[in-house]
Amino acid sequence: MRDNTLKYVLVLPAVLVVFATAIWPLMESARLSATVGRLNRPGSLDQYIGLENYTWAFFEEPSFWNSVWVTGVYTLLTVGLTTLLALGLALLLAPGGRLRSGVQTLLILPFAMSPALIGVSFRFMFNPEFGLFDAFFGVVMPPLADVSWLADPTLAFAVCVMADVWGWIPFLTLVLIGGLASIPQDTIEAAQVDGASGWRVFRDITLPQLGPVLAVVIILKSIFSLKTFDQIFMLTNGGPGTATQTLSHYIYFNGMKYGQIGYAASVAWLMVIPMILLTYLYAKYVFRKN
Amino acid sequence: MTGKQRKQVWNAVQLTLIMIATFIMLVPIVWIFLAAFKTHVDVYQLKLFFTPTLENFSTVFDDPYRLGEKLFNSTIVALVTVIFAIPIATCAAYSFSRFRLRGETTMLVMILATQFVPAVVIILPFFVMFRDVGLLDTRLGLILVNLAIVMPFAIWMIKGFIDGIPMDTEEAAMVDGSSRLQVIWNIVLPMAAPGLLTAAIFCFIIAWNEFLFALILTNKNAVTLPIGLALFKGEEGDLWNLLSAAGIIIMAPMFVLALLIRKYFVQGMTMGAVR
Repeated sequence: MRDNTLKYVLVLPAVLVVFATAIWPLMESARLSATVGRLNRPGSLDQYIGLENYTWAFFEEPSFWNSVWVTGVYTLLTVGLTTLLALGLALLLAPGGRLRSGVQTLLILPFAMSPALIGVSFRFMFNPEFGLFDAFFGVVMPPLADVSWLADPTLAFAVCVMADVWGWIPFLTLVLIGGLASIPQDTIEAAQVDGASGWRVFRDITLPQLGPVLAVVIILKSIFSLKTFDQIFMLTNGGPGTATQTLSHYIYFNGMKYGQIGYAASVAWLMVIPMILLTYLYAKYVFRKN
Repeated sequence: MTGKQRKQVWNAVQLTLIMIATFIMLVPIVWIFLAAFKTHVDVYQLKLFFTPTLENFSTVFDDPYRLGEKLFNSTIVALVTVIFAIPIATCAAYSFSRFRLRGETTMLVMILATQFVPAVVIILPFFVMFRDVGLLDTRLGLILVNLAIVMPFAIWMIKGFIDGIPMDTEEAAMVDGSSRLQVIWNIVLPMAAPGLLTAAIFCFIIAWNEFLFALILTNKNAVTLPIGLALFKGEEGDLWNLLSAAGIIIMAPMFVLALLIRKYFVQGMTMGAVR
């Protein structure tokens, strides 16, 4: 076979798989979002109602706006906290040496943990009777002793954020350590010889050079934060009430528990829009690199 | 304070911070490890010292929990997903790496983008379709949708490895009369083998930890380990000692695999945006 044909034959299976497992479901979701779409009513999946599901979400469902708000705050907090803490940890660990490399190796562990299991483990830690973190916070901040963390809307939200940040810091730290390692050392050394303080070196040399990696990290983390489901499901299942109900959880609940798959698909599509924007930004960085 | 003293103090501060961070990172993991060896009495107390028992590990495999079935499902699903994904991804990755294709950038961006589509969007149509064709609660159904999440990673990761293999050996072999397919089989595959294995392990971990698809598509026969965690609810709430034992069974093998490929973990997750 000539290379000119072969090169397309080689990519064909992959393109077909990606089409069948991603493009088709996206299109089919769009179609479902325009139907009555009740799982228990045969025929309703082909009963078109135009944009009614969308207007329903926008104007008739406060719980939709609640999950938009929850997801927004959750994303801002987790992206901000994870990035800042990971940057700090990366700066601490970047110099290398035996201890620091050892810790770098350990960083892989939380990341290999199933997010569902992270949710379970945090529920365990924050149990008001025998949870380890609960006991710890009880000592550090006595008003928080024996509080039912997951029964209080604000505290439950805080626990979800903590679990997320705990699970993602290791990965972001590893990426940032890689970024720090690729900054040329001579500029830093020259600045130090000229008597620049550690803070000045960080602000004027390290941070600008780290910019692109930092951008990639923030975009990637935003995408994963917006999609959050597993941990929330295992940790609070959206509760108490709907205090920790993210968009993914809201879609799951409406589609699978209430069987309103048409409505769920419309909310799902509303969620795809910010993703397209973030993906565009991300792709720009990836292709600039190659 | 002299400069030297200041440096020593600063070093001590750094070490302390590293220790605190490591401690926070390990505590939840260690606590699960401890709880898995506690009796159902000890687990409800903040005990650091206790008489360890292996009973939890046998209980989770007995009726009514039967974690063995979930372990089997998880293993089969993750393994078969990888067996499908890696060859398909390798062919595509080679082509993307060595040739100029029409619409190449578009295809690569599309592949990248599919990774960012929320899983919950993808699963709604699959649920409807699988219900119609009888693929709900089957391992096959789960394998098909799992391909959706591992393919983009696999393609981008393997492309990265093939990009790193110099082209001259291939060209020399072509001059000597080998066909392109022979070159791929005899030269590229052996050289890319460590990379392929790395990608395979990476995808295995992703498929193993996958949660949402399995939650929606399975309810009895094809339930995987992460979904199995929901089993350990008793009348008085969660059975933490059993949950922890099941937790170890889920995470310990992944820890071993992740440590094997730790150098490539970041590259895999960021799909080449960071090297």
